Amino acid sequence: MTATVTAPARRRGPSKKAVLPWLFLAPGLLLAVVFKFLPMGKGIWLSFFKVRPFLGDKWVGLDNYTRVLSDHRFQDAIGHTLVLGVGISLGAILVGFLLALLLEGQARSLKIMRTAVFLPVVTATAVVGELWRLMYYPTSDGLVNSALGFLGIGPVPFLDNPDTALWATMVMGIWMAAPYNMVIILAGLAGVDRSLYEAAAMDGVSLWQRLRYITLPAIRPALGVVLTLAAIRGLRVFTEVYVLTGGGPAGSTDVWMTRAYTLGFSRNDLGGASAASVVLLCVTLLLTVTVNYFRKRGDVR
Amino acid sequence: MGDRQRRRRLAAALAAAGLAFGTAACGSGSGGTGSGDPNTLEVWTRSDPDSAATYDRIFAAFTKKTGIKIDYQPVVNFDQQLQARASTKDLPDVMINDTALMGSYQSQGLLKPIDPESIAGHGQISAKSWSSTVGLDGKHYGIPYSRQAMTLMIRKDWLKKLGLKAPATWQQMLDVAKAFADRDPDGDGKKDTYGIVAPGSAMNGYAAWWGAGFLWQGGAQIIEPDGKGRYRPTMDSAAAVRTVTWMKDNLFCGARGVLQPGAVSAVTGTATNFQDGNAGMYMTGPYNITSFDTTPGKNTYEVVPAPAGPAGSDVLAEGENVYFGARTGKTGQEQALAAFLVSAEGQKIGMTSVDGHQPVVRIPTNSTLDAAKVRGDARWSVVQKAYETASEQFPNAPDFAPIKQDTADSLNALFTYCGSDVRSGLKELNETLAGDLKDQDLLK
Repeated sequence: MTATVTAPARRRGPSKKAVLPWLFLAPGLLLAVVFKFLPMGKGIWLSFFKVRPFLGDKWVGLDNYTRVLSDHRFQDAIGHTLVLGVGISLGAILVGFLLALLLEGQARSLKIMRTAVFLPVVTATAVVGELWRLMYYPTSDGLVNSALGFLGIGPVPFLDNPDTALWATMVMGIWMAAPYNMVIILAGLAGVDRSLYEAAAMDGVSLWQRLRYITLPAIRPALGVVLTLAAIRGLRVFTEVYVLTGGGPAGSTDVWMTRAYTLGFSRNDLGGASAASVVLLCVTLLLTVTVNYFRKRGDVR
Repeated sequence: MGDRQRRRRLAAALAAAGLAFGTAACGSGSGGTGSGDPNTLEVWTRSDPDSAATYDRIFAAFTKKTGIKIDYQPVVNFDQQLQARASTKDLPDVMINDTALMGSYQSQGLLKPIDPESIAGHGQISAKSWSSTVGLDGKHYGIPYSRQAMTLMIRKDWLKKLGLKAPATWQQMLDVAKAFADRDPDGDGKKDTYGIVAPGSAMNGYAAWWGAGFLWQGGAQIIEPDGKGRYRPTMDSAAAVRTVTWMKDNLFCGARGVLQPGAVSAVTGTATNFQDGNAGMYMTGPYNITSFDTTPGKNTYEVVPAPAGPAGSDVLAEGENVYFGARTGKTGQEQALAAFLVSAEGQKIGMTSVDGHQPVVRIPTNSTLDAAKVRGDARWSVVQKAYETASEQFPNAPDFAPIKQDTADSLNALFTYCGSDVRSGLKELNETLAGDLKDQDLLK
């Protein structure tokens, strides 16, 4: 009986209430379609062609994909991308968490410190790259090397040694990303019930136990957000590498995106570069969906 | 919240979105006013704002003379922007960019063929210059606009202090480099100076660009034409192995300070040691003369020919051509602009610096002009002589971009790993180059 009553109501079409959000969303959606989804679709389309705009694109099927996936430089780049993506993500979460613990509170001096610590996030990556290149200068004049000199170490050619260049890039990546995570984790920490800490203090628990059994469970939603963002950003690392090392020396810091860039713009192979980008898109999508799946499963539990 | 207020907010949001679209549309189009106007030419050059100021003067003079307006766009990341425009099949009418890119552009169909006879004053351009704009099909695809050759910039004050002379051979260059690194030429009591500046990164093909002169001076070639329109890779030759081994052992893996620190990851933008005053030699193009005259200072350095290797002292010659974008219907106006650009008047404006801005014509392609006389600076005769008598260009008929990039990747890897086996590394490079030529259907 109830069903027969509600059915005609549905047939009246979408209500004003239902349309309004779409109206607000429309400009953003339109912009996204024109500037994001159409170019993305074009990129996927081009990945099946040898691109020659004025001579006519030539259909090559999966050739671009085969070429990219069988190129040993792309294969090396996969390894570097994974090491860098995972290293920067985990490192930035850990450092972000430590920063958040240190800078949590209401004091005015803490606000100033938080602003100072947040600066790398709002600084242009090109500027950060230049700054770190100077800091990594491979003689004892460099900032890091002069500090190491006090300890009797070095000078270390951070960016010129293929064994250290990737790690040096990772440290810069962590430095740039950690403050962003710090802000999200700080928001999570603000919601932790203080009485739990007081009760724990009365029970005489250690600092580690307090972190393990109160803080970490309480900020799990914030950590979930940070992890999802890290999964999205981790694999598409580009600017940090491009400005700091350009993929060198000897390709030791080449990541998937720098190779795709070189293929597209140094070798003018836009079809191959599109194929490389599509592969990256698929892997990133897969990773994001997987992280989200495990996060939701964790939330349900 | 009342309905009226809600409606107002909605209207404001839509207006803002409309504005955003409008702005975006302005930014993404062919840019500027009048690109559809038959009497306006859209011109792109690969220039930073400094060089663009010189181009502005050239185009102003052209417009004053002919009435043809110029919608001028200086583009720093030229190739990326050009590929983006090419994908919309809407190219600029006229482009001025590197000669070595002609093959790449032509292979993508971006250029209109040019009949030299159709350019007024074509006879004032030498046959050598015209021959460098012939594509694989025997047609011309560019008009020679500016040329240059690398020379050695060297600190004469350091030479004087150490009682040395500018080097004439590789060995002398090495000796001077070691002296610059070890004997405190700047007199500050510290070991903080270096011999030679090298942009040795593989990024954008720099290692091949900077190393090309050494290869030729050592008797090696990257690819060789067979005279019948095809090419063969020759980086596995004995001369190439010998030369690259010499570079690796003496420069990149040699005594401390022969090259500046970080040479294997340096590009021209970051290899600033000569300007910074802590390196004494830099084999580079004459476009740097203007900035080097400011720092380290005109009186501190001299411009000399490149030191000779076992097979001579050829250096890399480069230059820029005027290209006409494919499928534009303004041929008459384009030809008029090209004629002005290569005329004595146009080239003179491009060669002079006003308010310290960078000149855009280095060695004039108009043979009635003398670079040193126009500028009143004898150093330019060293560059002009190097270009005319001891220089080679990268082949411009094939698409040289992948060849240069692969060569740079390989050289950079050999120079980075000092224990590497040069012979096997170059054999592998040669196979890669054969693949590049095969992709272009040019392998002999």
